[in-house]
Formats: sequence, C-alpha cells, structure tokens
Amino acid sequence: MLPTERLRYSPITERPKLVLPHGARLAVWVVVNVEEWDPAQPMPRTVLSPPAGGSPMPDIPNWAWHEYGNRVGFWRMLAVFDQLRIRAVLAINGSAIGRYGAIARAARERGWEFIGHGFTQQSMQKVADERADIRNTAAAIRAVAGRHPRGWLGPGLTETWETPDLLVEEGYEYVCDWVLDDQPVMLQTRTRPIVSIPYTQECNDVAMMLIQHHKAGEYYDRAIDQFEQLYSDAAESARIMALVVHPYIMGAPHRLKYFRNALLHIRERPDVLFWTGEEILDWYLSQQPRERLRP
Amino acid sequence: MIPRERAPYSAIVDRPPLRLPGGARIAVWTIVNLEFWDISRPMARQVLPAPTGQVLLPDVPNWAWHEYGMRVGVWRFFELFVRLGIRPTVAINARVVTEYERVARAAHEAGWEFMGHGFEQMPIHQVADQKAMIEDSLAVLERFTGNRPLGWLGPGLTETEHTPDLLAAAGVKYIGDWVYDDEPTEIATACGPLVTLPYTVELNDIPMMLVQHHESAYFAQRCRDSFERLYREGESRAKIMAIAIHPYISGQPHRIKYLEAVYEHIDRHAGVLHWNGAEILDWYLASRRRG
Repeated sequence: MLPTERLRYSPITERPKLVLPHGARLAVWVVVNVEEWDPAQPMPRTVLSPPAGGSPMPDIPNWAWHEYGNRVGFWRMLAVFDQLRIRAVLAINGSAIGRYGAIARAARERGWEFIGHGFTQQSMQKVADERADIRNTAAAIRAVAGRHPRGWLGPGLTETWETPDLLVEEGYEYVCDWVLDDQPVMLQTRTRPIVSIPYTQECNDVAMMLIQHHKAGEYYDRAIDQFEQLYSDAAESARIMALVVHPYIMGAPHRLKYFRNALLHIRERPDVLFWTGEEILDWYLSQQPRERLRP
Repeated sequence: MIPRERAPYSAIVDRPPLRLPGGARIAVWTIVNLEFWDISRPMARQVLPAPTGQVLLPDVPNWAWHEYGMRVGVWRFFELFVRLGIRPTVAINARVVTEYERVARAAHEAGWEFMGHGFEQMPIHQVADQKAMIEDSLAVLERFTGNRPLGWLGPGLTETEHTPDLLAAAGVKYIGDWVYDDEPTEIATACGPLVTLPYTVELNDIPMMLVQHHESAYFAQRCRDSFERLYREGESRAKIMAIAIHPYISGQPHRIKYLEAVYEHIDRHAGVLHWNGAEILDWYLASRRRG
C-alpha cells in the first residue's frame, strides 16, 4: 500500500486537541536500541574504514566497536536510567535476546517495555520471509518478557510495502518507522489500523554521530533545542518527543554525559512525562472518538 | 549553449553600483522550498541510510522525514514569517498544489510569490520531456494562483544546456540556478535575455545540514556572518542576500530557533528590505533601463 493510502495528509494545526493527564504538556520516550551484528556479514555501520578502503571480511574492528556497546556501554547507560528513575523502551533484535541475555534480564527487571526490532540487524527488504521474521521476533520477546510485544521498529526504520499489514496481523499495535509527525497518527492496513508513534531520526545518535559526524556535545544541544521547541508547541495540544540511543554510540565514555545531561534538563520540568511507547499508545487510543477504533 | 556563451565573465568591481530605493543597503530574499517526493523512487535526500547502506525501495523512513516538514515543520515557517510581515518566495514543485493543497493555499493566502521548481523533486536531467514538464509546471501554478510564475529554480538547481532557452520560451523572467554573483545578471538564451537572481547554495539548509552536517546553531552564525559582510559592502553598492530553507530541515524543532535568530539579527539593522524574487526583478530591470 502507498503511504498516502495509509494516511491522509493532515496539518498539525488543524486537529482536535490532545490532552495528557495531570496537566502535562509533553510526553518523552527514550528508546535504547540493542542489536546483534553477525560477524560473518558486512557490518551495518562502521567507525573506521580499512587502510586504502574496501570491505574486508571478517571486519573485526567494527564488530568489536559495536560489541563494546553491549559489554560496557549498555551498563553505563543503565546506571543513568536507574539514577533518574526513567523506564526506557528496549528495541531489540530477536537474535540479540539470546546472545545478550543479561541485557534482556536487566530490562525486564526494571519494567522496561520490549519492542520488536527485526530478528537480525538488516534491512527488512533483504529479509527472505518478512512475516516469519516479525513473528520470530515476537516469540523471542515473549520468551523473555512474558508477553507479546506491542510495538515495532524496523532495523534502520526499513519497511517493505507490506510491513504495517504484517505487523497488525502478527499482533503488533504500534510502529515507529513513520517519523512524520509530533503526535501519534493512525495508519490504515489491509485489516485493522495500526498506530504510528513519533520516533526520531533527528535526535538519534546513529544519524548525528555516525552519519553527520557531530561532536558528542551536539546530542545534548539538539535534544535541548528539540525539547524546548516541542514544549512550547505543546501549549496548544500535547506533543510527543523521542530520544534514541545505541549503547555502542552514546554509551561510549566520551559521549555518555551528554545523554545524561539531556535527560537531567528535561527531568527538571514538572509538566513533562517520561513514558514508554505503550503508555503513549494507550493514552492516544483513549483520546480517539470510539468510531475511529472500530475495525 | 555553454555558460560562457550565455554570459561573458564580468568582475563586480568593474560594474557601476546598483542602488536600492530609500538608501537601503541590502535586500534579503527568503526562499521556502516546497517539494513532492515520490515514494516509488529513491528519496531526494536521506537523513538515515539503511544498515550496510542498502538502497531502499520503498524508502519509508526518509519519505516520512520529508513528510514531517509538510505536516508540522512548514507551519513553524508560516508562524515566523507572518509574525515578521515577511512574504518569502516559494520554490514549489507543481505537484505540491494537489498533494499538499493546504500548504499551497496558506502560502498563496499569505501573499507569498510562487516560483516554478519542477513538477516533482527529481534532477531535470532525468526528465524525459523537459519542455513539457516546464510548461505543465507553470500552467499548474498559474491555474492555482491566477498568475504565471516569473521565476524558476531547478530541482537541486539542476539544468541541462538547453534549460535557460526552454524557460525563456515558456515566459520565465528570472532563474535562481546561477549562484555566481551578489547581483542580478542577464544571460543570453535562444529566446532573448533571462535574468539570474543571486540564489544561494551557501545560506541553504541542504548543503549546510545534509551535506556538510553542521550543528543546528551554525546556520544562524553563517547567516549572521554573511549578513554582516554584505551589509558593510551594501554601503557602496546594493547587495542581495538569499536564504534558502526547507520545512523538513529548518522546520525541525531543534533548528527553528536558529532560523528565528537570523531574522531577529537582521531586524536590528536599518536599511534592510525583505523582497521576493519578483520585487528584485522589477527593481533590477528598472535600474537597467535607467542605465
């Protein structure tokens, strides 16, 4: 289905007002992406190209760079979440759940939400059987979290023409690949609608640090600029803000403090909620007129 | 025609100075680019390439990123420019008029000038029938606004060697693709002269944010630095300063305040005009007539 068949163009200025509970203006959700990079495949991202270029196989330095995130960086981030009492959302490859069991257990013990992030870290357009990938990811999450995931984020936000249809059919209720608004929106599928929750490619350490090559401090500056503008916009109607991190990027020693300081800044504002994706989902659905929810 | 056949080399110091009315030093020309990205093709730009750099079709994440500009970002532009009483030029893909009628209507109602910008966002070299595309684009905009556009900016400033001839034949009076001067110039075409206005690839959020990957705040600094220099030079000869922005880039929450800061800075100076392309064209043609 074309994107324009899934939702109509709608300017944010012309919609019914959305109201958050307890007089809050803005809900912020923090997504931690945990991946498994297959050492027998080209690395999804690289920090260092080999001398004179090319793509050597195996690519040990870039595999190790990512592995550092799950061995060290994640635990550094976890301490920040614990200290600030924020529950994050864990977007995790199905295969990473077995490989990095300690990470999955730490997330479960803290009541973090698990969302599907592909079974392996590769474009959904390269997956042989997309439905099986989506289903197996849900099964892997169910095995550790004790319940079916409600949300999905494609690896690199990738989708095929069919992805939202498959997600609904496999029991998912929201998707994060459609970064086209500051409020949740409904996407049509061939069966029931699915909710799109505002994720971010802009306040995202992959885009900022690996693609755009910013200094570490830009994560903080951009997060605060983003937050202040959305907070101001939210005087009219509720807004959602996402912050996205990967343990191998913002979990690096020289970057972590910029992530922590961004959360500290946001946390000081009394009328801002730190929510998980499913809390945003349930709230958004509660704001919808009943006829929109009928299948 | 190669560029040198259209315009001989000319040093700015060898030309008589142009003067703006009322003793103004500088005319600021703001261009808001409104585009349509076809989901069935590779996206015009990407904020996030797929893992291992795979080419995506469909490319939903980057399509959605651009779509954000039309759903949310552009309304931050309207708020800013209406508040300041500035009426920019919109360089607009003709398909925007149907796909985002609400945005086109808001621009038209706010009195913004419509400039042709291709039918949809793709390099002009890949358009099968360029002449027909130009004609269709201008006709769609003319039907929508009631006026035939005077100006044209190629998507990504792209041209083939024939483009200026085809544009002049279609009645276009000025183009923005020739970013080679601080002043308007006249170039030769098969259908008479065509004016170039100093558009910009420097004070432009695509090269700055998507190609050069500067921090959000650098947009304001570069614009201020350019303005200071041109404002000083504007004491002895008129200067034009273009600022080119896109809703999906500068309309992002973390960037909009730097755009606002640019106009706040400019507003603290006397002798500044905010003109659209048509106003600059009129002034330039009148200046030439006076010799």
